[in-house]
Amino acid sequence: MQGVGVRGGDAVISIASLSKRFPNGTLAVDKVSFDVPAGQVVGLLGLSGSGKSTLMRLVNGLHKPTGGHVSVLGRVVDECRSAELRVLRRDIGFIFQQFGLVGRMTCIENVLVGSLGRLRGPRLGVRSYPKALRTQALENLERVGLLAQAFQRADTLSGGQMQRVAIARSLMQQPKVLLADEPVASLDPESSVQVLDLISRIAREDNMTVLCSLHQVELAIGRTDRLIGLRDGQLILDRLTAGADQAEIMALYRRTGTAQSVETRVNQLA
Amino acid sequence: MSTTLSSARTAPPISGRQIAQWVFWLAFVATFVWAWRRLDMSVFGFFSDLGNVANLFKRMYPPDFSDLSRITSSMVETLWMALLGTAGAVVLSYPLALAAAHNTTPGRVARGASRAIITLSRAVPEIILAAIFVAAFGPGPFPGILALALHSIGMIGRLFADAIENAAESPREAVVSVGTTKRQTIRSAILPQAIPSMIATSLFRFEINLRGSAILGLVGAGGIGQLISEALETIQYKPALAAVAVLFVVILAIEVASTSVRRSLIGEAANLQLSAQRRSWFRDRLIKRDSRVNEAATRERQLTPPWTSERIFRVSMAAFFGVLFVVAILTVNVSWFDAFGNIGDISIVLKQMVPPSFRGERSMVISGLVESFAIAVVSTTLGVLVALPLAVLMARNINIRKWVATFMRIFVLALRGIPELIIAVIFVSAMGLGAVPGTLALSVTVAVFGAKLFADSLEEVSPAPREAVVSVGASRIQEFVSSVIPQFVSPFVSHFFYLLDVFFRSSTVLGIVGGGGIGFLLLQSIRVFEFKLTTMIILGVFLIVLAIEWLGLMLRRLYR
Repeated sequence: MQGVGVRGGDAVISIASLSKRFPNGTLAVDKVSFDVPAGQVVGLLGLSGSGKSTLMRLVNGLHKPTGGHVSVLGRVVDECRSAELRVLRRDIGFIFQQFGLVGRMTCIENVLVGSLGRLRGPRLGVRSYPKALRTQALENLERVGLLAQAFQRADTLSGGQMQRVAIARSLMQQPKVLLADEPVASLDPESSVQVLDLISRIAREDNMTVLCSLHQVELAIGRTDRLIGLRDGQLILDRLTAGADQAEIMALYRRTGTAQSVETRVNQLA
Repeated sequence: MSTTLSSARTAPPISGRQIAQWVFWLAFVATFVWAWRRLDMSVFGFFSDLGNVANLFKRMYPPDFSDLSRITSSMVETLWMALLGTAGAVVLSYPLALAAAHNTTPGRVARGASRAIITLSRAVPEIILAAIFVAAFGPGPFPGILALALHSIGMIGRLFADAIENAAESPREAVVSVGTTKRQTIRSAILPQAIPSMIATSLFRFEINLRGSAILGLVGAGGIGQLISEALETIQYKPALAAVAVLFVVILAIEVASTSVRRSLIGEAANLQLSAQRRSWFRDRLIKRDSRVNEAATRERQLTPPWTSERIFRVSMAAFFGVLFVVAILTVNVSWFDAFGNIGDISIVLKQMVPPSFRGERSMVISGLVESFAIAVVSTTLGVLVALPLAVLMARNINIRKWVATFMRIFVLALRGIPELIIAVIFVSAMGLGAVPGTLALSVTVAVFGAKLFADSLEEVSPAPREAVVSVGASRIQEFVSSVIPQFVSPFVSHFFYLLDVFFRSSTVLGIVGGGGIGFLLLQSIRVFEFKLTTMIILGVFLIVLAIEWLGLMLRRLYR
């Protein structure tokens, strides 16, 4: 084990007093620390603007932290040079709220993009990928239940289907860690449940370590092992999901929310 | 703090902005009067001039197609010049655009440098570039192709960079998160999004270059322009009209074809399921066939994309242009080996171009530039005066007779196909050398060009205020004056200055065909290898263009 951030031998993700202040002065993540052991599925809770997205992007190096450290799979992310970062990212799947598909490309080509980290040189068009990878892409599409749509353009799909294509793209990486940033925030309730069930099923089947941000507590219960809550960039909740009561957690948010607004009102008067 | 009604103002106070607007327009009218006098224009002369042009057309009619094979081969040469020039510009623009776009640029220095190259390449008109290259390499299509390629970078490079910058950010981030290199990211996330717009840009520029290449023959760079000017100079009016007619038909046909391809490429329209086109029996059949083909492909776990109608269309288009390109390279009258062997000769010319110098022609340069400016002012004003009523007739939301609007649009589109220098050649043949035929020819082009711009802006006028005005019982004229015109003022002002800018550039090359302005001296300086003078004139033109752009910017601010 190397680096500052790795605490505990079996932690796959290790975050130590991690902070991120953007150039415009916003402090998005404020001294957050926690470890995630292998195979754990963590639900990251918080209102929009609470720092969930930033935290996720710090974990795979899309953002650089302004303080503290984050290590994944034994490598300190913030100390990686860009080539090392690319190698690391190959093992970390990332699922985005906005899916990140190119609408004009077919589903299979969007899925194949997930294998680029293992390939040399740029690719354009399905036929520029090796046959073995194309077979694998079809298998992954089958796994998310979209084999029949393989050669359709991505922009002909519904939101829930697009997110499943994005999951198939992550599966191409055969990731050990999966980061999902608000994967269901743009979806209707029915597709949300489908997509989250798919993520948690795949995570258990492939023994992935998952960090999944959500802003609906009820969706996290039953699908995650552990709940971590952020507010204004600070860690305000860290507990196992088992036995967690939705009302109780909601109340926590409500209380802090009210406390804050009372506080600001007092400050304004003073 | 209450104001009694009797003491309240009934007119708003005059703002500084309004005063500035008035001062500006008064100054413009004064400039127009000065320019009109400077060019010795007269209203009576105007009608006799039109009579002369009509006379010429009478003598040109009927066209003589007896030498059709020569017309055809010149036309094909023009076509190949446009195609290869555009292709060259696309090849050169792609790396420049990647360097210029903020999301793909390797660094700030590369970005600044490529932006500068893109801007500079547009500064010199293609016909001047062609004249310089003819001086360097001798006559033929090669200097023409080179001129088109270099000049087109200005537009293609900028629009390519815009297309790349417009690519959505989320696919890029998703691809980066997989661990890709920069080149992989560009190819897999950005390029697929930018391609439709890049193809549309290339086709659009091809249309423009077709009109451009038709005139390059005037300075010896081959094609149908050479044929037309030779025929007119030797008073062979009927064959000249035949050549103009062929050019006109070809330009129109290609414009229609290219517009429909561009329309089918942009956005979602390329996909049958997504396109908003009207449903038809044929389209339904195609959609059914596509889904059948798709099903079969996934059932058999095919590893290559199936032949859906979209893919067939795309591949056949690519094949068509590929074949066209190869044929063009093989049949155009250029020995590529020699051409690229001698390309270093440009550097000799470039060395002779600096430092800029008047070479004792200072007063000629200044009076030429002044005359060009006067031509631009008069022709833009006259053209706009014709364009405005045309635009009202063309706008489908204003002209209640839809067929009249459609007819006017087709009419204007057709006229727009004729390059302004060809019109100038014809007017000069009818009225003799001088600034007046040049100005009138340019006015015609401003009128059709401006009519399209104005009509498009009129059609973008928001319908809500119009409805409100109609609902109080206003007549059609009242409605037009109080709800359409207020919305149209601001786009009109910016179009007006855009036209002045574009047609000042045009007025600087009118002299090539004897239409007045700085063009004559410019062409002479190239012909007698006084390249330092050429640079000086180009600099002068550039300064005036900058001044016009600055004025336009100020005025747009006044009308914002």
